[in-house]
Amino acid sequence: MTEKEVQVVDEIEVGRLLPEVDALRSAGWRIIQVLCVSSAEGCELSYSFGLALAMKSLRFRVAPDVAVPSITALFPAAFLYENEIRDLFGVRIERIGADWMGKVYDVAGDKPFSKVTVIGPRSEGGGV
Amino acid sequence: MSTREDTRREDTRREDTRREDTRPDHARESNIDGTSIIPFGPQHPVLPEPLHFDLFLRDEKVVGAIPQIGYIHRGLELLVEKRDYTDYVHVAERICGICSFMHGMGYCEAVEGMLGLSVPDRGRWLRTFWCELERAHSHLMWMGLAADAFGFESLFMAAWRARELVIDVAEETAGGRVIFGSAIVGGVSRDPSDETLARCMKALKPARDDIRKLSRVMLQDSTVKHRLEGVGVLSRERAYELGAVGPMLRASGYDYDVRRRGYAAYGEIPFETVVEESGDCMARAAVRIREIEQSFAIMEKVVAGMPAGPVSVPVKGMPPVGECFARLEQPRGEVIYYVKSNGSRNLERFRVRTPTFANVPAMVEAMRGSSLADVPTIILTIDPCISCTER
Repeated sequence: MTEKEVQVVDEIEVGRLLPEVDALRSAGWRIIQVLCVSSAEGCELSYSFGLALAMKSLRFRVAPDVAVPSITALFPAAFLYENEIRDLFGVRIERIGADWMGKVYDVAGDKPFSKVTVIGPRSEGGGV
Repeated sequence: MSTREDTRREDTRREDTRREDTRPDHARESNIDGTSIIPFGPQHPVLPEPLHFDLFLRDEKVVGAIPQIGYIHRGLELLVEKRDYTDYVHVAERICGICSFMHGMGYCEAVEGMLGLSVPDRGRWLRTFWCELERAHSHLMWMGLAADAFGFESLFMAAWRARELVIDVAEETAGGRVIFGSAIVGGVSRDPSDETLARCMKALKPARDDIRKLSRVMLQDSTVKHRLEGVGVLSRERAYELGAVGPMLRASGYDYDVRRRGYAAYGEIPFETVVEESGDCMARAAVRIREIEQSFAIMEKVVAGMPAGPVSVPVKGMPPVGECFARLEQPRGEVIYYVKSNGSRNLERFRVRTPTFANVPAMVEAMRGSSLADVPTIILTIDPCISCTER
Protein backbone atom coordinates (compact mmCIF):
# COMPACT_ATOMS: atom_id res chain seq x y z
CA MET A 1 0.00 0.00 0.00
CA THR A 2 1.10 3.54 -0.69
CA GLU A 3 1.98 5.45 2.44
CA LYS A 4 -0.16 8.61 2.41
CA GLU A 5 1.19 11.83 3.86
CA VAL A 6 -0.10 12.41 7.38
CA GLN A 7 -1.70 15.84 7.31
CA VAL A 8 -1.02 17.65 10.58
CA VAL A 9 -2.14 21.28 10.50
CA ASP A 10 -2.39 23.36 13.69
CA GLU A 11 -4.50 26.52 13.43
CA ILE A 12 -3.04 29.47 15.36
CA GLU A 13 -3.44 33.25 15.64
CA VAL A 14 -0.88 35.37 13.83
CA GLY A 15 0.26 36.76 17.19
CA ARG A 16 1.29 33.25 18.27
CA LEU A 17 3.46 32.63 15.21
CA LEU A 18 6.87 33.44 16.67
CA PRO A 19 6.42 31.61 20.01
CA GLU A 20 5.08 28.52 18.22
CA VAL A 21 7.90 28.55 15.69
CA ASP A 22 10.44 29.04 18.47
CA ALA A 23 9.02 26.02 20.31
CA LEU A 24 9.27 23.88 17.18
CA ARG A 25 12.84 25.04 16.59
CA SER A 26 13.79 24.14 20.15
CA ALA A 27 12.31 20.68 19.60
CA GLY A 28 14.55 20.14 16.54
CA TRP A 29 12.06 20.85 13.75
CA ARG A 30 13.22 22.78 10.69
CA ILE A 31 11.33 24.90 8.18
CA ILE A 32 10.58 23.06 4.93
CA GLN A 33 8.11 25.38 3.23
CA VAL A 34 5.82 28.37 3.60
CA LEU A 35 2.62 28.32 1.59
CA CYS A 36 0.09 31.05 0.85
CA VAL A 37 -3.48 30.67 -0.39
CA SER A 38 -5.19 33.91 -1.39
CA SER A 39 -8.89 34.71 -1.25
CA ALA A 40 -10.99 37.86 -1.48
CA GLU A 41 -10.87 38.31 2.31
CA GLY A 42 -7.15 37.92 2.73
CA CYS A 43 -4.50 35.24 2.80
CA GLU A 44 -4.05 31.92 4.54
CA LEU A 45 -0.43 31.16 5.41
CA SER A 46 0.84 27.67 6.25
CA TYR A 47 4.32 27.20 7.67
CA SER A 48 5.44 23.57 7.32
CA PHE A 49 8.16 22.01 9.47
CA GLY A 50 9.98 18.72 9.18
CA LEU A 51 11.58 16.43 11.74
CA ALA A 52 12.97 13.17 10.36
CA LEU A 53 10.17 12.03 8.04
CA ALA A 54 7.38 13.78 9.97
CA MET A 55 5.79 17.00 8.77
CA LYS A 56 3.48 19.43 10.53
CA SER A 57 2.15 22.85 9.63
CA LEU A 58 1.09 25.99 11.46
CA ARG A 59 -1.69 27.93 9.79
CA PHE A 60 -3.39 31.29 10.23
CA ARG A 61 -5.41 33.75 8.19
CA VAL A 62 -4.60 37.42 7.82
CA ALA A 63 -6.55 40.36 6.46
CA PRO A 64 -4.77 42.40 3.77
CA ASP A 65 -3.81 45.21 6.15
CA VAL A 66 -2.37 42.97 8.89
CA ALA A 67 1.40 42.66 9.17
CA VAL A 68 2.99 39.25 9.63
CA PRO A 69 6.28 38.97 11.54
CA SER A 70 9.16 37.34 9.72
CA ILE A 71 10.50 34.09 11.15
CA THR A 72 13.98 34.62 9.67
CA ALA A 73 15.38 35.46 13.12
CA LEU A 74 14.60 31.85 14.04
CA PHE A 75 15.01 30.22 10.64
CA PRO A 76 17.22 32.34 8.35
CA ALA A 77 16.45 29.98 5.44
CA ALA A 78 12.83 31.20 5.45
CA PHE A 79 13.87 34.43 3.73
CA LEU A 80 13.23 33.06 0.26
CA TYR A 81 9.70 31.86 1.07
CA GLU A 82 8.82 35.15 2.75
CA ASN A 83 10.17 37.27 -0.10
CA GLU A 84 8.24 35.16 -2.58
CA ILE A 85 4.94 35.44 -0.69
CA ARG A 86 5.32 39.18 -0.36
CA ASP A 87 6.08 39.58 -4.07
CA LEU A 88 3.40 37.28 -5.45
CA PHE A 89 0.61 37.74 -2.90
CA GLY A 90 1.33 41.14 -1.38
CA VAL A 91 1.33 39.85 2.22
CA ARG A 92 2.94 42.39 4.54
CA ILE A 93 5.80 40.40 6.03
CA GLU A 94 7.95 42.60 8.22
CA ARG A 95 11.64 42.42 9.12
CA ILE A 96 12.71 39.75 6.67
CA GLY A 97 16.34 38.86 7.38
CA ALA A 98 17.44 39.08 3.77
CA ASP A 99 14.97 41.50 2.22
CA TRP A 100 15.02 41.56 -1.59
CA MET A 101 12.63 44.53 -1.64
CA GLY A 102 10.19 43.02 -4.12
CA LYS A 103 12.82 41.86 -6.60
CA VAL A 104 12.56 38.08 -6.32
CA TYR A 105 10.34 37.85 -9.38
CA ASP A 106 10.43 40.25 -12.28
CA VAL A 107 6.73 39.98 -13.11
CA ALA A 108 4.69 42.31 -15.29
CA GLY A 109 1.89 42.87 -12.76
CA ASP A 110 1.89 43.77 -9.10
CA LYS A 111 1.01 40.90 -6.71
CA PRO A 112 -0.09 38.56 -9.55
CA PHE A 113 -1.25 35.74 -7.24
CA SER A 114 -3.35 37.97 -4.98
CA LYS A 115 -7.14 37.70 -5.06
CA VAL A 116 -7.72 40.27 -2.36
CA THR A 117 -10.45 42.69 -3.41
CA VAL A 118 -9.76 46.20 -2.19
CA ILE A 119 -12.42 48.81 -2.87
CA GLY A 120 -10.60 52.11 -2.91
CA PRO A 121 -11.72 55.72 -3.40
CA ARG A 122 -12.95 56.60 -6.88
CA SER A 123 -10.25 58.24 -8.94
CA GLU A 124 -10.62 61.91 -9.91
CA GLY A 125 -10.94 61.01 -13.57
CA GLY A 126 -14.23 59.35 -12.72
CA GLY A 127 -13.79 56.30 -14.89
CA VAL A 128 -11.69 53.32 -15.64
CA MET B 1 48.82 68.50 20.33
CA SER B 2 46.97 68.02 17.13
CA THR B 3 48.57 68.90 13.87
CA ARG B 4 46.97 70.18 10.71
CA GLU B 5 47.38 66.66 9.22
CA ASP B 6 45.42 65.15 12.13
CA THR B 7 42.62 67.66 11.60
CA ARG B 8 42.46 66.85 7.90
CA ARG B 9 42.24 63.12 8.63
CA GLU B 10 39.41 63.69 11.12
CA ASP B 11 37.49 65.78 8.57
CA THR B 12 37.93 63.04 5.99
CA ARG B 13 36.67 60.41 8.42
CA ARG B 14 33.58 62.47 9.21
CA GLU B 15 32.94 63.04 5.54
CA ASP B 16 33.17 59.29 4.89
CA THR B 17 30.69 58.65 7.69
CA ARG B 18 28.22 61.16 6.25
CA ARG B 19 28.55 59.82 2.71
CA GLU B 20 25.56 57.75 1.67
CA ASP B 21 26.16 54.03 1.94
CA THR B 22 25.06 52.70 -1.43
CA ARG B 23 25.85 49.06 -0.73
CA PRO B 24 22.94 46.59 -0.78
CA ASP B 25 21.07 45.99 2.46
CA HIS B 26 22.68 42.61 2.93
CA ALA B 27 26.16 44.03 2.66
CA ARG B 28 25.40 46.72 5.22
CA GLU B 29 23.69 44.34 7.61
CA SER B 30 26.33 41.66 7.20
CA ASN B 31 29.01 44.27 7.81
CA ILE B 32 30.89 43.17 4.71
CA ASP B 33 33.43 45.93 4.36
CA GLY B 34 36.30 46.33 1.95
CA THR B 35 34.84 43.91 -0.53
CA SER B 36 34.40 43.86 -4.27
CA ILE B 37 31.08 42.82 -5.76
CA ILE B 38 31.29 40.57 -8.81
CA PRO B 39 28.09 39.79 -10.71
CA PHE B 40 27.83 36.08 -11.60
CA GLY B 41 25.12 35.20 -14.14
CA PRO B 42 22.32 35.22 -15.11
CA GLN B 43 24.10 34.25 -18.34
CA HIS B 44 27.19 32.16 -17.63
CA PRO B 45 28.87 29.27 -19.48
CA VAL B 46 28.16 26.80 -16.63
CA LEU B 47 24.54 27.83 -16.20
CA PRO B 48 22.07 26.29 -18.65
CA GLU B 49 19.37 28.43 -17.05
CA PRO B 50 19.38 31.97 -15.68
CA LEU B 51 20.49 32.44 -12.09
CA HIS B 52 22.31 35.44 -10.71
CA PHE B 53 24.60 35.99 -7.75
CA ASP B 54 26.21 39.11 -6.41
CA LEU B 55 29.45 37.67 -5.10
CA PHE B 56 31.20 39.61 -2.35
CA LEU B 57 34.92 39.05 -2.70
CA ARG B 58 37.88 39.88 -0.55
CA ASP B 59 40.77 39.33 -2.92
CA GLU B 60 39.86 35.98 -4.52
CA LYS B 61 37.87 34.73 -1.56
CA VAL B 62 34.06 34.73 -1.51
CA VAL B 63 32.87 36.24 1.78
CA GLY B 64 29.19 36.46 0.88
CA ALA B 65 26.70 36.00 -1.93
CA ILE B 66 23.24 37.31 -2.70
CA PRO B 67 21.22 35.04 -4.98
CA GLN B 68 18.67 36.38 -7.44
CA ILE B 69 16.05 34.29 -9.23
CA GLY B 70 12.89 35.20 -11.09
CA TYR B 71 14.12 35.74 -14.64
CA ILE B 72 11.82 33.13 -16.19
CA HIS B 73 8.98 32.76 -13.70
CA ARG B 74 6.02 31.25 -15.58
CA GLY B 75 3.19 31.26 -13.07
CA LEU B 76 2.25 27.63 -13.78
CA GLU B 77 0.77 27.26 -10.30
CA LEU B 78 -1.86 29.87 -11.16
CA LEU B 79 -2.90 27.92 -14.26
CA VAL B 80 -4.52 25.28 -12.04
CA GLU B 81 -7.47 27.66 -11.63
CA LYS B 82 -8.19 27.47 -15.36
CA ARG B 83 -7.67 23.78 -16.14
CA ASP B 84 -9.67 20.71 -15.26
CA TYR B 85 -8.03 19.03 -12.28
CA THR B 86 -7.44 15.80 -14.19
CA ASP B 87 -5.93 17.62 -17.18
CA TYR B 88 -3.60 19.78 -15.11
CA VAL B 89 -1.19 16.85 -14.73
CA HIS B 90 0.06 17.71 -18.24
CA VAL B 91 0.95 21.22 -17.04
CA ALA B 92 2.55 19.87 -13.86
CA GLU B 93 4.77 17.59 -15.95
CA ARG B 94 6.04 20.60 -17.84
CA ILE B 95 7.33 22.35 -14.74
CA CYS B 96 10.67 20.78 -15.58
CA GLY B 97 12.03 18.71 -18.44
CA ILE B 98 14.38 16.65 -16.26
CA CYS B 99 12.09 15.47 -13.48
CA SER B 100 8.90 15.79 -15.52
CA PHE B 101 7.42 12.42 -14.57
CA MET B 102 7.89 13.04 -10.87
CA HIS B 103 6.21 16.44 -11.10
CA GLY B 104 3.22 14.85 -12.81
CA MET B 105 3.19 11.99 -10.34
CA GLY B 106 3.55 14.32 -7.33
CA TYR B 107 0.54 16.32 -8.47
CA CYS B 108 -1.39 13.06 -8.95
CA GLU B 109 -0.37 11.79 -5.48
CA ALA B 110 -1.64 15.01 -3.89
CA VAL B 111 -4.95 14.89 -5.81
CA GLU B 112 -5.36 11.17 -5.07
CA GLY B 113 -4.76 11.87 -1.38
CA MET B 114 -7.48 14.50 -1.47
CA LEU B 115 -9.87 12.18 -3.33
CA GLY B 116 -9.01 9.18 -1.12
CA LEU B 117 -8.02 7.15 -4.19
CA SER B 118 -5.79 4.08 -4.06
CA VAL B 119 -3.67 3.39 -7.12
CA PRO B 120 -3.59 -0.29 -8.18
CA ASP B 121 -0.42 -2.21 -7.32
CA ARG B 122 0.89 -2.44 -10.88
CA GLY B 123 0.37 1.30 -11.33
CA ARG B 124 2.38 2.00 -8.17
CA TRP B 125 5.22 -0.27 -9.25
CA LEU B 126 5.34 1.28 -12.72
CA ARG B 127 5.49 4.73 -11.12
CA THR B 128 8.48 3.53 -9.08
CA PHE B 129 10.18 2.20 -12.22
CA TRP B 130 9.81 5.53 -14.02
CA CYS B 131 10.87 7.53 -10.95
CA GLU B 132 14.15 5.62 -10.78
CA LEU B 133 14.65 5.83 -14.54
CA GLU B 134 14.26 9.59 -14.26
CA ARG B 135 16.66 9.77 -11.30
CA ALA B 136 19.30 7.86 -13.28
CA HIS B 137 19.02 10.09 -16.34
CA SER B 138 18.98 13.25 -14.23
CA HIS B 139 22.13 12.25 -12.33
CA LEU B 140 23.85 11.29 -15.60
CA MET B 141 22.95 14.65 -17.06
CA TRP B 142 24.38 16.28 -13.95
CA MET B 143 27.57 14.23 -14.26
CA GLY B 144 28.06 15.52 -17.80
CA LEU B 145 27.37 19.14 -16.86
CA ALA B 146 29.70 18.94 -13.85
CA ALA B 147 32.48 17.42 -15.98
CA ASP B 148 31.95 20.17 -18.55
CA ALA B 149 32.17 22.79 -15.79
CA PHE B 150 35.64 21.73 -14.74
CA GLY B 151 36.82 21.19 -18.31
CA PHE B 152 36.64 17.39 -18.63
CA GLU B 153 35.01 17.28 -22.07
CA SER B 154 35.42 13.57 -22.77
CA LEU B 155 33.79 12.64 -19.45
CA PHE B 156 30.93 15.00 -20.29
CA MET B 157 30.32 13.27 -23.62
CA ALA B 158 30.69 9.75 -22.22
CA ALA B 159 28.16 10.50 -19.45
CA TRP B 160 25.63 11.83 -21.92
CA ARG B 161 26.16 8.85 -24.23
CA ALA B 162 25.22 6.53 -21.36
CA ARG B 163 22.23 8.76 -20.58
CA GLU B 164 20.99 8.32 -24.13
CA LEU B 165 20.35 4.61 -23.49
CA VAL B 166 18.36 5.48 -20.37
CA ILE B 167 16.22 7.92 -22.34
CA ASP B 168 15.65 5.25 -25.01
CA VAL B 169 14.13 3.06 -22.30
CA ALA B 170 11.90 5.94 -21.21
CA GLU B 171 10.68 6.30 -24.78
CA GLU B 172 10.01 2.58 -25.17
CA THR B 173 8.16 2.17 -21.86
CA ALA B 174 6.46 5.54 -21.33
CA GLY B 175 6.26 6.94 -24.84
CA GLY B 176 8.19 10.18 -24.22
CA ARG B 177 11.89 10.93 -24.00
CA VAL B 178 11.65 14.19 -22.05
CA ILE B 179 8.02 14.47 -21.01
CA PHE B 180 7.07 10.89 -20.16
CA GLY B 181 3.33 11.68 -20.27
CA SER B 182 2.40 8.49 -18.43
CA ALA B 183 1.24 9.83 -15.05
CA ILE B 184 -2.49 10.31 -14.66
CA VAL B 185 -4.72 10.87 -11.65
CA GLY B 186 -5.61 7.36 -10.50
CA GLY B 187 -2.51 5.56 -11.80
CA VAL B 188 -0.56 5.53 -15.05
CA SER B 189 -1.69 5.69 -18.67
CA ARG B 190 0.81 3.17 -20.10
CA ASP B 191 1.23 -0.49 -19.33
CA PRO B 192 4.43 -1.87 -20.84
CA SER B 193 4.46 -5.66 -20.83
CA ASP B 194 6.69 -7.61 -18.46
CA GLU B 195 8.69 -8.77 -21.50
CA THR B 196 9.27 -5.17 -22.59
CA LEU B 197 10.47 -4.22 -19.13
CA ALA B 198 12.83 -7.21 -18.96
CA ARG B 199 14.21 -6.37 -22.43
CA CYS B 200 14.74 -2.76 -21.35
CA MET B 201 16.74 -3.85 -18.31
CA LYS B 202 18.97 -5.91 -20.61
CA ALA B 203 19.32 -2.93 -22.95
CA LEU B 204 20.54 -0.85 -20.01
CA LYS B 205 23.41 -3.22 -19.21
CA PRO B 206 25.96 -1.50 -21.53
CA ALA B 207 25.03 1.83 -19.95
CA ARG B 208 25.52 0.41 -16.45
CA ASP B 209 28.95 -0.97 -17.41
CA ASP B 210 29.94 2.39 -18.86
CA ILE B 211 28.68 4.24 -15.81
CA ARG B 212 30.81 2.08 -13.48
CA LYS B 213 33.91 3.05 -15.49
CA LEU B 214 32.90 6.71 -15.57
CA SER B 215 32.25 6.65 -11.84
CA ARG B 216 35.80 5.50 -11.19
CA VAL B 217 37.09 8.42 -13.28
CA MET B 218 34.79 10.89 -11.55
CA LEU B 219 35.69 9.75 -8.04
CA GLN B 220 39.36 8.76 -8.41
CA ASP B 221 40.94 10.88 -11.16
CA SER B 222 43.48 13.25 -9.65
CA THR B 223 42.37 16.26 -11.74
CA VAL B 224 38.76 15.79 -10.68
CA LYS B 225 39.73 15.33 -7.05
CA HIS B 226 41.79 18.48 -7.25
CA ARG B 227 38.71 20.46 -8.27
CA LEU B 228 36.18 18.84 -5.93
CA GLU B 229 37.82 17.69 -2.69
CA GLY B 230 37.59 20.12 0.19
CA VAL B 231 35.68 22.64 -1.96
CA GLY B 232 32.33 24.14 -0.94
CA VAL B 233 32.12 22.35 2.39
CA LEU B 234 28.73 22.37 4.11
CA SER B 235 28.61 20.99 7.63
CA ARG B 236 25.95 18.54 8.78
CA GLU B 237 24.44 21.05 11.23
CA ARG B 238 24.32 23.93 8.75
CA ALA B 239 22.87 21.74 6.00
CA TYR B 240 20.03 20.78 8.32
CA GLU B 241 19.43 24.28 9.68
CA LEU B 242 19.39 25.85 6.23
CA GLY B 243 16.78 23.42 4.94
CA ALA B 244 19.01 21.59 2.46
CA VAL B 245 17.46 18.56 0.79
CA GLY B 246 18.48 15.64 -1.41
CA PRO B 247 22.10 14.86 -2.26
CA MET B 248 23.05 18.29 -0.85
CA LEU B 249 21.89 17.17 2.62
CA ARG B 250 22.96 13.53 2.38
CA ALA B 251 26.48 14.52 1.28
CA SER B 252 26.83 16.33 4.61
CA GLY B 253 26.18 13.14 6.54
CA TYR B 254 22.43 13.48 7.11
CA ASP B 255 20.39 10.34 6.49
CA TYR B 256 17.21 11.76 4.96
CA ASP B 257 15.41 10.34 1.95
CA VAL B 258 11.66 10.86 1.50
CA ARG B 259 11.40 7.52 -0.32
CA ARG B 260 11.67 6.01 3.16
CA ARG B 261 8.07 7.14 3.71
CA GLY B 262 7.11 4.33 1.39
CA TYR B 263 5.06 6.14 -1.27
CA ALA B 264 4.48 4.33 -4.60
CA ALA B 265 6.19 0.92 -4.16
CA TYR B 266 9.15 2.10 -2.09
CA GLY B 267 7.70 0.59 1.06
CA GLU B 268 7.99 -2.85 -0.49
CA ILE B 269 11.44 -2.55 -2.05
CA PRO B 270 14.43 -2.56 0.32
CA PHE B 271 17.15 0.02 -0.38
CA GLU B 272 19.82 1.89 1.56
CA THR B 273 19.96 5.65 1.80
CA VAL B 274 23.18 6.89 0.17
CA VAL B 275 25.05 9.11 2.64
CA GLU B 276 28.52 10.70 2.52
CA GLU B 277 30.21 12.48 5.37
CA SER B 278 32.61 15.16 4.13
CA GLY B 279 30.04 17.70 2.87
CA ASP B 280 32.24 18.95 0.02
CA CYS B 281 31.72 18.94 -3.76
CA MET B 282 33.27 15.46 -4.01
CA ALA B 283 30.80 14.10 -1.45
CA ARG B 284 27.86 15.54 -3.42
CA ALA B 285 29.27 13.96 -6.59
CA ALA B 286 29.73 10.63 -4.81
CA VAL B 287 26.14 10.59 -3.52
CA ARG B 288 24.72 11.13 -7.01
CA ILE B 289 27.03 8.59 -8.63
CA ARG B 290 26.16 5.92 -6.06
CA GLU B 291 22.47 6.77 -6.48
CA ILE B 292 22.67 6.03 -10.24
CA GLU B 293 23.65 2.42 -9.55
CA GLN B 294 21.08 2.26 -6.76
CA SER B 295 18.35 3.42 -9.18
CA PHE B 296 19.20 0.62 -11.60
CA ALA B 297 19.15 -1.88 -8.73
CA ILE B 298 15.70 -0.68 -7.64
CA MET B 299 14.47 -0.89 -11.25
CA GLU B 300 15.69 -4.50 -11.40
CA LYS B 301 13.72 -5.33 -8.25
CA VAL B 302 10.64 -3.59 -9.64
CA VAL B 303 10.79 -5.53 -12.90
CA ALA B 304 11.40 -8.81 -11.07
CA GLY B 305 8.47 -8.29 -8.70
CA MET B 306 6.04 -6.44 -10.96
CA PRO B 307 2.50 -7.42 -9.95
CA ALA B 308 -0.15 -8.15 -12.55
CA GLY B 309 -3.42 -6.30 -12.81
CA PRO B 310 -4.82 -2.93 -13.79
CA VAL B 311 -2.60 0.18 -13.80
CA SER B 312 -5.20 2.80 -12.96
CA VAL B 313 -8.63 3.40 -11.50
CA PRO B 314 -11.25 5.61 -13.16
CA VAL B 315 -11.62 9.13 -11.82
CA LYS B 316 -15.02 10.73 -12.30
CA GLY B 317 -16.97 13.67 -10.99
CA MET B 318 -15.98 16.71 -9.00
CA PRO B 319 -13.25 16.64 -6.37
CA PRO B 320 -14.47 17.16 -2.79
CA VAL B 321 -13.73 20.34 -0.87
CA GLY B 322 -10.42 19.66 0.79
CA GLU B 323 -6.66 19.84 0.60
CA CYS B 324 -3.65 17.55 0.63
CA PHE B 325 0.14 17.66 0.90
CA ALA B 326 2.30 15.10 -0.90
CA ARG B 327 6.07 14.64 -0.75
CA LEU B 328 8.42 12.82 -3.13
CA GLU B 329 12.18 12.38 -3.42
CA GLN B 330 13.20 13.91 -6.73
CA PRO B 331 16.76 13.62 -8.10
CA ARG B 332 17.56 16.97 -6.45
CA GLY B 333 15.78 16.19 -3.21
CA GLU B 334 12.49 16.45 -1.40
CA VAL B 335 9.68 18.15 -3.29
CA ILE B 336 6.42 19.17 -1.61
CA TYR B 337 3.11 19.42 -3.46
CA TYR B 338 -0.03 21.01 -2.12
CA VAL B 339 -3.49 21.02 -3.66
CA LYS B 340 -6.65 22.67 -2.40
CA SER B 341 -10.10 22.18 -3.86
CA ASN B 342 -13.26 24.25 -3.50
CA GLY B 343 -15.42 21.49 -4.94
CA SER B 344 -15.31 22.62 -8.56
CA ARG B 345 -13.42 21.03 -11.45
CA ASN B 346 -10.76 23.73 -11.16
CA LEU B 347 -8.61 23.52 -8.07
CA GLU B 348 -8.26 26.62 -5.92
CA ARG B 349 -4.53 26.25 -5.32
CA PHE B 350 -1.60 24.15 -6.45
CA ARG B 351 1.79 24.75 -4.97
CA VAL B 352 5.19 23.11 -5.51
CA ARG B 353 8.12 23.63 -3.15
CA THR B 354 10.95 22.47 -5.38
CA PRO B 355 14.27 21.10 -4.09
CA THR B 356 16.39 23.79 -5.72
CA PHE B 357 14.27 26.47 -4.01
CA ALA B 358 15.05 24.80 -0.66
CA ASN B 359 18.75 24.46 -1.51
CA VAL B 360 19.41 28.13 -2.33
CA PRO B 361 20.34 29.19 1.26
CA ALA B 362 22.65 26.16 1.60
CA MET B 363 24.23 26.95 -1.77
CA VAL B 364 25.09 30.46 -0.55
CA GLU B 365 26.56 28.97 2.62
CA ALA B 366 28.69 26.51 0.65
CA MET B 367 30.16 29.36 -1.40
CA ARG B 368 31.28 31.29 1.63
CA GLY B 369 35.04 30.93 2.11
CA SER B 370 35.65 29.41 -1.32
CA SER B 371 37.69 30.99 -4.11
CA LEU B 372 36.04 32.71 -7.06
CA ALA B 373 37.31 30.00 -9.44
CA ASP B 374 35.45 27.33 -7.45
CA VAL B 375 32.05 29.05 -7.57
CA PRO B 376 30.94 27.39 -10.86
CA THR B 377 31.87 23.97 -9.48
CA ILE B 378 29.99 24.58 -6.25
CA ILE B 379 26.89 25.70 -8.13
CA LEU B 380 27.05 22.64 -10.39
CA THR B 381 27.41 20.20 -7.49
CA ILE B 382 24.16 21.55 -6.03
CA ASP B 383 22.63 20.61 -9.41
CA PRO B 384 20.30 23.60 -9.55
CA CYS B 385 17.15 23.35 -11.64
CA ILE B 386 15.87 26.81 -12.40
CA SER B 387 12.91 25.54 -14.43
CA CYS B 388 11.60 23.89 -11.27
CA THR B 389 12.31 26.95 -9.19
CA GLU B 390 10.63 29.28 -11.68
CA ARG B 391 7.51 27.10 -11.96
